[in-house]
Amino acid sequence: MSGRAGLLAFWTGLAAMAAAFLLFDSGLDFNYIIPRRLAKLAAMVIGGIAVGLSSIVFQTLAGNRVLTPAVMGYEAVYLLLQSLLVLMLGTSSLVLLGDYGNFLVSILLMLAYSLAVHRWLFSDRQADIGYPLLIGLVLTLIIGTFTQFVQLRISPGEFAIFQGFALVSFDRVEWGRILWSGGLVAAVCVAGRPSLPVLDVLALGRDQAVSLGVDHHRHVRFLLALVAVLVAVSTSLIGPTAFMGIFVANLAYACARSGRHRLTLPLGCAIAVGMFLAAQLAVEHVFNYRTTVGILINLVCGAWFLALTLRFRDIA
Amino acid sequence: MSRAGLPLLFAALCVVSLTVGVNRLSLAQLASFSDAAWLTLTASRLPRLAALVLTGVGLAVCGVILQHVVRNRFVEPATTGGLEAAKLGILISLSVSPAGGAAVRMALALAFCLVASLVYVAIIARLRLRNTILVPVIGLMYGSVLGALAEFYAYGRNMLQSMQGWLLGDFSKIVQGNYEIVWLILPVVGAAYLFAHRFTVLGMGSDMATSLGISYRAMVTLGLLLVSTTVAATVVAVGAIPFVGLVVPNVVALRQGDNLARTLPSVALGGASLVLACDILGRLLIYPFEVPIGLTMGGIGGLLFLLLIVRSGR
Repeated sequence: MSGRAGLLAFWTGLAAMAAAFLLFDSGLDFNYIIPRRLAKLAAMVIGGIAVGLSSIVFQTLAGNRVLTPAVMGYEAVYLLLQSLLVLMLGTSSLVLLGDYGNFLVSILLMLAYSLAVHRWLFSDRQADIGYPLLIGLVLTLIIGTFTQFVQLRISPGEFAIFQGFALVSFDRVEWGRILWSGGLVAAVCVAGRPSLPVLDVLALGRDQAVSLGVDHHRHVRFLLALVAVLVAVSTSLIGPTAFMGIFVANLAYACARSGRHRLTLPLGCAIAVGMFLAAQLAVEHVFNYRTTVGILINLVCGAWFLALTLRFRDIA
Repeated sequence: MSRAGLPLLFAALCVVSLTVGVNRLSLAQLASFSDAAWLTLTASRLPRLAALVLTGVGLAVCGVILQHVVRNRFVEPATTGGLEAAKLGILISLSVSPAGGAAVRMALALAFCLVASLVYVAIIARLRLRNTILVPVIGLMYGSVLGALAEFYAYGRNMLQSMQGWLLGDFSKIVQGNYEIVWLILPVVGAAYLFAHRFTVLGMGSDMATSLGISYRAMVTLGLLLVSTTVAATVVAVGAIPFVGLVVPNVVALRQGDNLARTLPSVALGGASLVLACDILGRLLIYPFEVPIGLTMGGIGGLLFLLLIVRSGR
């Protein structure tokens, strides 16, 4: 019963934070301030849903609670692609491809990367839980180095444009992006909805799932493709979120006290939105823009992830 | 590689490193005592060579010491938070005393690196589930938390952009007069040789080391002090260079085993050769510009690291 009350308190708190974000110090200015804040809020909700869904689904598929797409280098690949595009086509890449073209290319690349990771992650050896994690971290480092190398070659003006992609921020969102990002996330949700019960079975592990009559290979591929789309959406909309997904997913498992995806998925999305809201509120009103959402989230989630790996036996 | 192969390779790389550069320098010019050629040599090329060799040797030896202290093959300053801590120290010294010069930066970088390494070793010692893969994972996480702290600190003071620029390892700024702090590495390497046997014993664990008559705590502290001095000196003079300390000792250990007193010369020469090779590559890749060694080493060293992990998983 207390669990239900806790959930109620959680949702009320979330709504209160959203209201505070919209109205605090706004002077009820419905012409500029509140529409701007609504756009930011929409970006947070879409980004939060994308981060929450992709992290939890990826963890279930990998059977590993310390992995997320971000840690496995998905976001690093996205940033490398963006810097390569700017290098090869110049700023005109933004015009030439348009939002849609750029996004289509990104999604295709993410899908390809997903397939490559898939081969590695789900090879027969699942003995050591830390192994894919170490590979992911090192891969992220290496891809980051190549991105920096490409950045050396692009001109300072173009570099400034690229920098915009590389930091988590809600300040550059516009309604056009929000609309099609929201549309894509909605499409992914609709497409993934029938797989919800299958996810619970997949969480039991490959052998169990197969013996229960699930076409493991087909489902994993399909869901990984959805994850790739979600990561592309969240990275292009709000920037790389690094360790946030791990934090969100594990908090969701703890709060739901259950592994059922019907419970954990919405909770994870809500927690991610709540984190974005809290960080943005802190940046605007506590730190007075002397820090960024990305830095705050990295600091908190990184420290928490460190603590999590120290108690590794509990989650392994 | 045969016993003579590594020294020969090292000598060849030294010669190439001296002759590659925008300002053409041929051995013929030196032989005819051209003033311009000699100036280029003594003011820029020789200091650069010295800095390259010293950092290469220092970082490789550092890696080997850390690996014996932590008893894990995959640790080195970049995977134990040491590099990030040194960066944080420099950042703080720059904002606290901007005119402080290299000595202040060195002192703070050294202090931060030492404290961070001691904390890391304490964390690892308390770890309930010790496995080869987890130890570097925790180090990388620890490093990224320290890095986020540094970002937080730098962003509030508008230093973020410059921090990203000058903390990337880069030898192109090395000229006579601004690199001398790197010579601090020489006594460190000397001390490493002196205590090589003890570090080998340290690698067998605290019980074994204590029963063989070595003060475990004192040796661990000494080892970390040596490591921190090297890391601080290189970060202050040239910036962060990852993975040297990881790749070289592992490759040497694959061939020659773990007896430090025997393998240290190979580790030192190997480190110097790897750094030299990456620097030359960086100088040629987009000639006449330069790619900072932080990037070439990050790419090449990182790929080698990945190979080592995959190999260990088999």
